[in-house]
Amino acid sequence: MTVTAPPAPAGVVPSGRRRPERRRASRSNAGQSRFGYVFVSGYTLLLVAFGLLPTLYALFLSFTRNGVFVGFDNFVRVFNDYRFLPAVGHVALYVVFWLVSLIVLVVILAIVVHSIRVRWLGDTARFLFYIPGAIAGASSVLLWLFVLDPSVSPVSALLRSMGYESLVNVVAVGNLPVVFTVIAFWAGAGGWIVIMYGALNNISADIMEAARIDGAGALQVAWHIQLPMLTKWISYMGIMSLAAGTQLFVEPKILAQATKNVVPEDYSLNQLAYLYAFRQGDFSGSAAISVMLLVVALGLSTIFIFRGRLFERD
Amino acid sequence: MTDLAVRRRRRALTPGQWIGRAFVAVLLLTFAAFFILPIIWLVLAPTKTNSELLLDGPFAFGSFEQLVANWNELFAFGSGVFAVWLGNSAFYSFAALAITLIVSIPAGYALALIEFKGRRLLLVTTLVVMLIPNTALVLPIFLELSAVRLIGSPLAVILPFSFFPFGVYLTYIYFSTAVSRDLLNAARIDGAGELRVFAQVAMPLATPVIALVGFFSFVANWNNYFLPFLVVGGQKIPVQVGLANLLSNVPAFNPTTASSIVIQLPTLALATLLSVAPILLIFLFAQRFLVEGMTAGGTKE
Amino acid sequence: MSQHSSFRRRATRLITTGAIAATGLLVLSACSTGAEAGGDDTYGFAAAEQVADSPITVWVDASREPAVTAFQEAYPDIEVVLETYDGNAGGSGSFQSKISLMDQAGDGWPDVVFSTQQNDAIWASKDTPNGEPGFAAPLNEGLIDQDFLDGFAEGSLDYATIDGTVYGLRNDLAQTVFYYNQKLLDEFGYDVPSTWEEYAELGDALAAEHPGYILGSMGDSFMTYIYYGGSESPVFQSPEPGVFHSDTSAENAQDISAIIDGMLENGTLVQDSFFSAEFAANYADKLVGVPGPVWYTGAIFQGGLATPAGEIGVAPPLKWEGGDVAAGNVGGGIWYASRHSANLDAVATFLEFVTSADEFQVEASSGYPAYTSAAEKWLDKQAEAGYFVNDDFETVMSDAAGQIWSGWNVTPWSPETAWAKVVIPGMAEGETVVSLLPAWQTELENEATVNGYTVE
Repeated sequence: MTVTAPPAPAGVVPSGRRRPERRRASRSNAGQSRFGYVFVSGYTLLLVAFGLLPTLYALFLSFTRNGVFVGFDNFVRVFNDYRFLPAVGHVALYVVFWLVSLIVLVVILAIVVHSIRVRWLGDTARFLFYIPGAIAGASSVLLWLFVLDPSVSPVSALLRSMGYESLVNVVAVGNLPVVFTVIAFWAGAGGWIVIMYGALNNISADIMEAARIDGAGALQVAWHIQLPMLTKWISYMGIMSLAAGTQLFVEPKILAQATKNVVPEDYSLNQLAYLYAFRQGDFSGSAAISVMLLVVALGLSTIFIFRGRLFERD
Repeated sequence: MTDLAVRRRRRALTPGQWIGRAFVAVLLLTFAAFFILPIIWLVLAPTKTNSELLLDGPFAFGSFEQLVANWNELFAFGSGVFAVWLGNSAFYSFAALAITLIVSIPAGYALALIEFKGRRLLLVTTLVVMLIPNTALVLPIFLELSAVRLIGSPLAVILPFSFFPFGVYLTYIYFSTAVSRDLLNAARIDGAGELRVFAQVAMPLATPVIALVGFFSFVANWNNYFLPFLVVGGQKIPVQVGLANLLSNVPAFNPTTASSIVIQLPTLALATLLSVAPILLIFLFAQRFLVEGMTAGGTKE
Repeated sequence: MSQHSSFRRRATRLITTGAIAATGLLVLSACSTGAEAGGDDTYGFAAAEQVADSPITVWVDASREPAVTAFQEAYPDIEVVLETYDGNAGGSGSFQSKISLMDQAGDGWPDVVFSTQQNDAIWASKDTPNGEPGFAAPLNEGLIDQDFLDGFAEGSLDYATIDGTVYGLRNDLAQTVFYYNQKLLDEFGYDVPSTWEEYAELGDALAAEHPGYILGSMGDSFMTYIYYGGSESPVFQSPEPGVFHSDTSAENAQDISAIIDGMLENGTLVQDSFFSAEFAANYADKLVGVPGPVWYTGAIFQGGLATPAGEIGVAPPLKWEGGDVAAGNVGGGIWYASRHSANLDAVATFLEFVTSADEFQVEASSGYPAYTSAAEKWLDKQAEAGYFVNDDFETVMSDAAGQIWSGWNVTPWSPETAWAKVVIPGMAEGETVVSLLPAWQTELENEATVNGYTVE
């Protein structure tokens, strides 16, 4: 679920239209304004209840213990937990694998699909890449559990040829970043490919033709024209996937269950936060971890909104 | 590029272009296989017996009789608890969908077309929250719901599910680009109240965005595992969480259950398939709409 | 202008009202679930309000499903809702996590839970983080008659007893013995080993003369109890509450690890789980002998491997040369009752039935019943069926029950998770167990620290 959520937000996020004709204050009148508030009231209520309040409450918990302010004690305690740094390492390693493969492969595939001249072939390819996006959450992990278990896998010959004889071999801790990357890529890459494809459509046919007439090969066109046009989208994809990647939970959680904890139940940070809340009954520690993760996510999204050019607003 | 140009190029392929084309073909085939084979396998697996699954070719078809047998085994498990899970998923997703639409469409409309104080703040907050992965808020929401003793209630799933800033943003973008303010103002000058402007001018134009918000909200909620996993238990879990429970009744993944085998691998595969079936069907039937919608998203610059 | 500012005021009010409504909504619902009914003192604790004939929800692992079926046949008037879960196997902690969720919710608790682990009473008897009483109901303060409790084998309720209060009923005993296949031993001309050294020698001989035949598997995390508990290795000790001690460099731990390594190397120990389809398919007629708990009888030999009667014999647990006999203990599940149950009478009836009635413990259960009268009948049943080749198997098994090594203790966390996390993947990678011992000990000590134990 973490990284496999449909990346659709990107797809329908055009940069804002400027509306120069707007004359703000003078146009608004009390009646209109009142309806403005009525119209946003329900949403604002939810935003407060499930965006703002949980954040504030987690902050409150993370700096208190049994209601008493304890400064950074909870953070220090979590940091000193022997499971914390390995979990950070696991997540970081996974995010690196995931981002690199996502960026490289998505861009290549988008450009390749875009270069297909036969319309139905291109449509079919995009659809095939996109369809696994329907399978997310626990379902996709379960499906991959089958694929990764040499005894039932459709590609068991491939797994065995790589020296993997059992599920425990395949999901050895060292392999997990790759395993999670494959799962996440499978479910999530298609959406991004479709989005990149759309962005490539933007490049005017004249520029492309001119480049070709100048003798530029497909590779040169890709490198000098298409790639620069995509950078904005690539950075968007990168930031979104980075934020999502740090949230790793369902994949290791279900693999831990399936392997009787050979994949450890404290592999990722969210799992650790879960253990704090549900096994140790330590809500302050759990809140401290989730606050750290939340800060990372908030930081990334804020930087992106205010520094990135994708959301140029009025 | 003109058709003529295409044809001319096709006729005279240099060796370099041949290699390029071959490379493209291999690349596409490899990735198409990577993306689609697991799904084909998943569709075929429930038609087999356990031993057929282990021994036969991975893409062989079993039999319809076995599919029925596996189906019966799955729905007999725990006196039909799988159907209860599916029902829960549907209930949570549809209830949240309804609330999402009721609150998001007017909110996006107001953000786009009505001037009011705090509009910009609300817009920026929406953007920030929208770009946070939804999992980042799950534990804080759990802690909050636990503090107010709402854990275990269906509301603990439905209300957080209903909070869908992306839907508001989508509506905002739609109304601010697709509906002209002059049209609304004309209606206002004709004496229509705000409510009537919204109901009779804006809403009829909003069908595409309602469909889009509805789709994204439904898919995200149906597939959500983390939040319901933390906030509901027992008979109230949705199918995503139930699926993981099912896993502990499969001997291959839970050694201690071997003495009385409950769920066989093909049945687990069937459960996996059914758990995503609604989403898969929507994807299949709405593919043109979705792929084009997303492509257009990238195009709109 | 004045209109504008009045408008602003109104807007502020609106937003404030919204925020208050949001919190109010949450607080309101808080009130509705807060009610906790106080009961009388019949059971020795504040029971929930009792609802006559209300259904009871029972969580069991798949292996204990027959217990519920048998109960439903015997007591058709008591409605039972069966839910299967992983039985907390391998120390998965799912029992505790699921109950934590119910504690948070303030309802939805099951009435009866079966766990394959021995340590759940430690957390289940403690107050929840919210300060409410823990999940497990005290059983010896009115819920279950003392007469009935006295019927359990001596010491079998110790794991579930905290400060004199009994919180759980033992399903079966789980002392280890040595199982051997007499037919294969005769065929090959070997003797039954009685020491760990002889076990290793048998491995060498078997590997050299009859490759392909095996003496066990290391694929399950409960092997910790069999090989380390059974060899008196001081790996998992809690000499007093809150204190943890582990010494994998001790002689016994080193020696048993070296034996395991040798047998993994020569192929007489394999790495498939005992319960896997592969194990049954590949080794059903290749298992020459194996140390294991008495529940192997039903769960492995009569179950997965389907070994016919008249082949298997039971010998006393392996010991060190010159040492005393010591048995390991591998589980032996425990039944817990919920203090939140609204039908405690039915719960008591259920617990007494599943632990003592012939219909489950003698007819359908895989292990050696913890309830003495049932155990006698179970042993008679095995004798009648002539399942074991040696006539003294009853004495061997019951003697072993009294020989469980006291140097292996129960703590809030399971020893199995560290084994699963460190040793199983290491073995799969081809590392030796001896080389993994320091990492295993570190993991155990770290877990102890996280659980608030002092490592000594």
